Amino acid sequence: MKKKRLLTFAESINEAQIQAMKLDKNVFIFGLGVEKTGHVFKTTLGIKKKFSSKRIFESPNSEMALTTMAAGAANSHLRPILIHHRVDFMAYTFDQLVNWISLWSFKSSGKSSMPLVIRAIIGRGWGQGPQHAKTLHSMFSYLPGLTTVMPSSPSEAKGLLLSSIMSNDPVIFLEYRALFNTKEHVPEEPYFIELGDVRHRLLGDDITVVAMGPAVLTAIKAQDICKNKITFDLFDLRVMSNYKLNKILKSLKKTKKLLCVEDGWGSGSTSSELISKIVESGVELSEPPVKITWPSSHVPMSNPLEKDFYFDERNIVKAAEKLAKIKI
Amino acid sequence: MKNFQKNLYHQLLYIRRVQEEISNRYHPADNMKCPMHFCMGQEIGPAALSSFLRPGDAILSHHRSHGYFLANKGSLNEMIAEFHGKETGTNGGLAGSQELSCTKTHFYSGTILSGAFGMSLGDAFSKVYKNENNITISVIGDGGMEEGICSETLNMAILYKLPILFICENNKYSTHTKLNERTEYQNVSDRIKGYKIESHLFNSNDPEKLYMLLKNLTSKIRKTKKPIFLEIMTYRFNGHVGPEGDDHYNYRSKAERDLWSKKDPLKVYRKKLDKKFGIKFKNFENKILNDINKKIDRSFAFALKSSFAKVYKKYNYQNTYHKSVKKFFNNDISFNKDQEDHRPMPY
Ligand SMILES: Cc1ncc(C[n+]2csc(CCOP(=O)(O)OP(=O)(O)O)c2C)c(N)n1
Repeated sequence: MKKKRLLTFAESINEAQIQAMKLDKNVFIFGLGVEKTGHVFKTTLGIKKKFSSKRIFESPNSEMALTTMAAGAANSHLRPILIHHRVDFMAYTFDQLVNWISLWSFKSSGKSSMPLVIRAIIGRGWGQGPQHAKTLHSMFSYLPGLTTVMPSSPSEAKGLLLSSIMSNDPVIFLEYRALFNTKEHVPEEPYFIELGDVRHRLLGDDITVVAMGPAVLTAIKAQDICKNKITFDLFDLRVMSNYKLNKILKSLKKTKKLLCVEDGWGSGSTSSELISKIVESGVELSEPPVKITWPSSHVPMSNPLEKDFYFDERNIVKAAEKLAKIKI
Repeated sequence: MKNFQKNLYHQLLYIRRVQEEISNRYHPADNMKCPMHFCMGQEIGPAALSSFLRPGDAILSHHRSHGYFLANKGSLNEMIAEFHGKETGTNGGLAGSQELSCTKTHFYSGTILSGAFGMSLGDAFSKVYKNENNITISVIGDGGMEEGICSETLNMAILYKLPILFICENNKYSTHTKLNERTEYQNVSDRIKGYKIESHLFNSNDPEKLYMLLKNLTSKIRKTKKPIFLEIMTYRFNGHVGPEGDDHYNYRSKAERDLWSKKDPLKVYRKKLDKKFGIKFKNFENKILNDINKKIDRSFAFALKSSFAKVYKKYNYQNTYHKSVKKFFNNDISFNKDQEDHRPMPY
């Protein structure tokens, strides 16, 4: 059997961008430091050489105007990819997201569109502290008209980024920092994943687990610990709002137990909304749903405190034991 | 009378008359139910600009946009229908006066200060990217210029060499707050020079002078592909947001209002043309006034007989993809066991 090609999360994102740029000459990349030293965790490495400085270029520290530049270009049928090294910088761009980009298609009654992608790095990295480690995906997902994507693995990142770039709706594409060096088999040809299609990740009978981004991996690790004693029917949400619920509901009819795992704050979270949707659907649960999220606190810098802040697979196992009423 | 004079006067009168009629017909009919920022007194900018707009040029405007919408050959029917919230409006009745836009004519506006000013960057960038010989007009007020995004926008416009004509209509007020209560500078154009952007101050009520200036500036931008900033000193006769007046709040003196009313570019230009061309001008004016009034009547009739939209939610998302997306990859575990062993390595 031929050995399968393994790519890191960063390499997949790099490849997705290159393939998108080949598929459409209107795709271009810009942002702070996209063409400098670190190449955004190596995700933009080599792109300038393959294309030109017309297709990828540096920018001043002006997140607001960069975002309106992306918006104006997208309205004129270009497909910009704007990159932020940290999602925290996007706080400056709240107006552009809330008052312009998310409602652009709506207020034109569908006549105008905004096919742009804003890539931002989120989450855990050593010692990043309160201003450099947020996720904010649930905040973005509150807005109609905006699609927020959080991939969980290299192959997912490639397909989802290609779809995000080729989507005619604006997309915020959030890349969890700790995932960048994960490896997986990634098909070579360009492929697309439907935005809104929830991925059935693991087949199991006991608990329906819904996660997104790195929490999907943490849940898989927890499943490894639980072995066959408790099995997870695991779903990767991929997109934070406007997703199709049917697979999850079908699973819940079987398991009657729900566990949500999310790297982000719990109140007003994507998991909270998911639980609300499930309750509204009328599907019957045998146990109250459980949510594993970050504590309601900003992220500490100090190493031991940081370790205490984030949940890991053991927290999931504990919750699963309680839900399934089984000791591992 | 020369053709350009006819066009210029026609535009000034057209923009003024449309706004007078919207104001007059707003109450008590109350068929239009949206806030409106009229630009009576400020018609000189859009009127003088209109001759130099080419197909493919775009205007991104702030909230006081009616004049620029009309100057850009926006459909009056669709504009009035929009104000009535009707499906036939330029925005399908979903935006109203404050965010009046028209995809067909590349006219976009919004009422959150200075967002459209920033968007002009991307619009102009796309023109350069696609090698088009079009320009972008970016309209803003003195108040909008105080937002931080303007500084970023100006820097990027010159850095990336974008073909943008920035027009700042300085009417000295931001709602009811005068410029000297908001900034140390009294002319916005002064501060622009620091960005290394060519900047001009237009302080006159002579539409022909502005016409000549805009002729030069627009053709220069088409040639050099570099931004230019133009500040127009002007005055709004109506209240900040209408159709009701707001001068009873006494935020600007009667002497000041009277002074500017005397300097009204439309009035002054009318006098000048009348003096110069006499009966020929009078005949011309009668004819266009008659045409304009009929056009306005027709547009109100169109709006009233149009219907309200039945759907609106679907417009939030386009839910479509680029033509390269022909099918979706399905890696659901239940359908594709092959994916199972491709677990990412732990991080
Ligand atoms: C971000 C933001 N802040 C405040 C307002 C409220 N507001 C609407 S119009 C306006 C005055 C703006 O003055 P200027 O830009 O000079 O334009 P003018 O109304 O005088 O034509 C203000 C403060 C707003 N729309 N957006």
